[in-house]
Amino acid sequence: MNERTLTADVVVALPKLHLDDLLAALRQRGYQTHGPRLRDGVVAYGPIEGLKDLPRGVVVHQDAGRYRAEQTDHPLYFAATPGADSWKRYLFPPRRELFHFHRRNGRWETAAPAAEAPRYALIGVRPCELAALAVQDAVFLREDFTDPHYHAVRERLFIVAVNCLHPGDTCFCASLGTGPEAASGYDLLLTELDDVFLVAVGSEAGREVLQPLPWEPATAFWLSQAQRGLEHARQAMGRRLPDPQSLPETLLSNLNHPAWDEVASRCLSCANCTQVCPTCFCWDVQDEIALDGETVTRFRVWDSCFSPQLSYLAGGNARTTVRARYRQWVTHKFASWERQFGTLGCVGCGRCITWCPAGIDITETLAAVRNTPQPAGGER
Amino acid sequence: MNPNPTATLASASADTLLVPFWAEVVAVRQETPNVATLTLRLEDADARRRYRFKPGQFNMLSLPGLGEAAISISSDPAERDTLQHTVRAVGNVSRALTRLKPGARVGLRGPFGTAWPVEGCRCRDLILVTGGIGLAPLRPVIYEIINHRADFGDVTLLYGARTPADLLYTDEYAAWEAHDIRVLLTVDRAEADWQGTVGVVPILFYRLRPHPERTVVFSCGPEIMMHFVVYEAMARRIPYEHIYLSLERNMKCGQGLCGHCQVGPYFVCRDGPVFRFDALAPFFGVEGL
Amino acid sequence: MNCELDEETLRALWHLPWFRRLKQEHFAALAQIACLRQVKAGEVLFREGEPQDFLYVVLEGRIGLEIHVPGRGNVRLMTVEPEEVLGWSSVIPAARRRTATAVAVLSSRLVALDAPALLRLCEEDPTLGYLVMRRLANVVAQRLLITRLQLLDIYAHPAEEGCHE
Repeated sequence: MNERTLTADVVVALPKLHLDDLLAALRQRGYQTHGPRLRDGVVAYGPIEGLKDLPRGVVVHQDAGRYRAEQTDHPLYFAATPGADSWKRYLFPPRRELFHFHRRNGRWETAAPAAEAPRYALIGVRPCELAALAVQDAVFLREDFTDPHYHAVRERLFIVAVNCLHPGDTCFCASLGTGPEAASGYDLLLTELDDVFLVAVGSEAGREVLQPLPWEPATAFWLSQAQRGLEHARQAMGRRLPDPQSLPETLLSNLNHPAWDEVASRCLSCANCTQVCPTCFCWDVQDEIALDGETVTRFRVWDSCFSPQLSYLAGGNARTTVRARYRQWVTHKFASWERQFGTLGCVGCGRCITWCPAGIDITETLAAVRNTPQPAGGER
Repeated sequence: MNPNPTATLASASADTLLVPFWAEVVAVRQETPNVATLTLRLEDADARRRYRFKPGQFNMLSLPGLGEAAISISSDPAERDTLQHTVRAVGNVSRALTRLKPGARVGLRGPFGTAWPVEGCRCRDLILVTGGIGLAPLRPVIYEIINHRADFGDVTLLYGARTPADLLYTDEYAAWEAHDIRVLLTVDRAEADWQGTVGVVPILFYRLRPHPERTVVFSCGPEIMMHFVVYEAMARRIPYEHIYLSLERNMKCGQGLCGHCQVGPYFVCRDGPVFRFDALAPFFGVEGL
Repeated sequence: MNCELDEETLRALWHLPWFRRLKQEHFAALAQIACLRQVKAGEVLFREGEPQDFLYVVLEGRIGLEIHVPGRGNVRLMTVEPEEVLGWSSVIPAARRRTATAVAVLSSRLVALDAPALLRLCEEDPTLGYLVMRRLANVVAQRLLITRLQLLDIYAHPAEEGCHE
């Protein structure tokens, strides 16, 4: 039991083995603890009990269209950059019942789904993922409309974030200002060094959970090691995206740029990028009829702008070509999003680059559009 | 973007997302072989009292097991007891809607979307240009004008359809003309018994001599028709700020949440479907946007 | 058929935008070769395949242009309304015969310009010739754009097997 009092502005050090105590304390408070684990050769999120479940020593090699996790004997638990999975599905499930119709005495009535808002403690949330959470907050928690399930899960969320000292080969969070260091939005923030976790407190809930654990004030040596690690991480990003603020303007005035045709010739319209992206939010509504025909469940399911069905119009389609759909994805993410929500939709996690079977690199596409901009004067 | 908040039955903090209210089909009128006008009455008296729509807005009509469709409201906004929706059978849901019988029940959410700025057009001349089913969301405008006829200047309706049998609301034109609304019709093709104009809707502009400073154009119809409408309006020096278009896109939620109906940065269900043309111009006509 | 325009018809012609912008002597020259033509509803003005003789300007009424499609009968392609030009093929060298049949849908009044005389005028006065040809180029272009839109069949009913929405 720690007698000293934690304050928000102090970074403390916690011996690594005590992370298990932290997770146990969270479970005692009713949280389900989830974190990264190695599954089918990919780092994915799932329930974890403690350190034993974490991908210790795993190093991930990524590139456009490539992902390979390699087991080494380094002592770090959180050095593996995330795989195709993101935390998105915890608050915005791929399939969820909106409500159902039930026929009673020949008349249809509606009924709400069983209310279930789990209490999740997410362990190992990287700064880009915190940024993605903030981006999705702007989408699902709005003044004019709040998604009730998202809101309920979000309210109950406990976040143990982790600074990123080993960015991946497709990462570019530094260019977008979304990493490698977390600024806010967490309850606790870890920085993993070889021997110890440095922990910063981000909220009262975090402080309260951490307080009784055997932490010590962090030494100057450890603090400077962390700083150097972060500085190194900033320079070691696998990709760069210079001057992101100019992208909305550039993209919206280059809608007929030849770069779109070039990418379209390679894009398979497979929708992988939208699946792995932590901010994409398009969804579809589907009715499922029970076999006895007395109940119809209306589901909300993930959708993608790469699906031809998305832009279907009576008797045709608003986006008939892969070029149109790819351009929609990029211009939504990097231009329209700003007009709609006030920020860019991309957080620089690089998943779309890694998981594209055609190896399309969004930073290259954007560079192609801005380096040879179209001459002014379009149609009309 | 032109936000146009109106009273809506879809409450902002509903416990559940997208749950519809129930409405009864009071009457069904077959307008053409594949278009029917449904007259609906909300079942809940309180909802009926609260519900108010503006011309140009739409409802999401729901059939259990089939899904939902975005349908423009085509009735007089001053009529509070019932709502009319003119539906064209183009897919599973809409086809089923056109086959409903009086007494059937339909889920309803709305009203959604931006409205035609009828109030802002007082003392102006109005040209309503539309084709096919596009007349449906403009019919409320016609009724609103009729209800306050003295407030508006010259009002002209340019309307066309594929054939004379596809013209909507044909038995109402005489009444509209009696209220000093000039109705000019055309069809793409006709039999010998049609004595009217044969040609595409934009050619009806040739008979007008609008004063650009005080003329406003509302248009709704196939997007390519609207391209030519804008062209004809521009040729007569009507400024972009005086032209309003109503767009159509695939809609699932009707509230700007599901991402389906985007045109450039706009959600057609929330920033539209009625757009002022100067806001739309950079994105209108971009292939596949 | 009267072959001299009365005051009223001359005034009506002068009111048409294109004619109004002509120089006096050009208008007078055209008026010289113009006749008034009146047709009752249902009357045929000219038939598809006939040789050319007149270029018409519609003052009042409505003329339907039809083409005979073997097996389908007469199909009305478009109508020509007041202030519009009818029979451009009479003045365009490439078109040797009428391209469609013109039937009065409503009783109509037209000004008929003698086509060979018009061509002679154009040759003698190239300035007038240019103005006439430019006007006809616009007429034909407009017809082409309209025809394209009709070709697109923009109100087409979608395929019945749609599984969407």
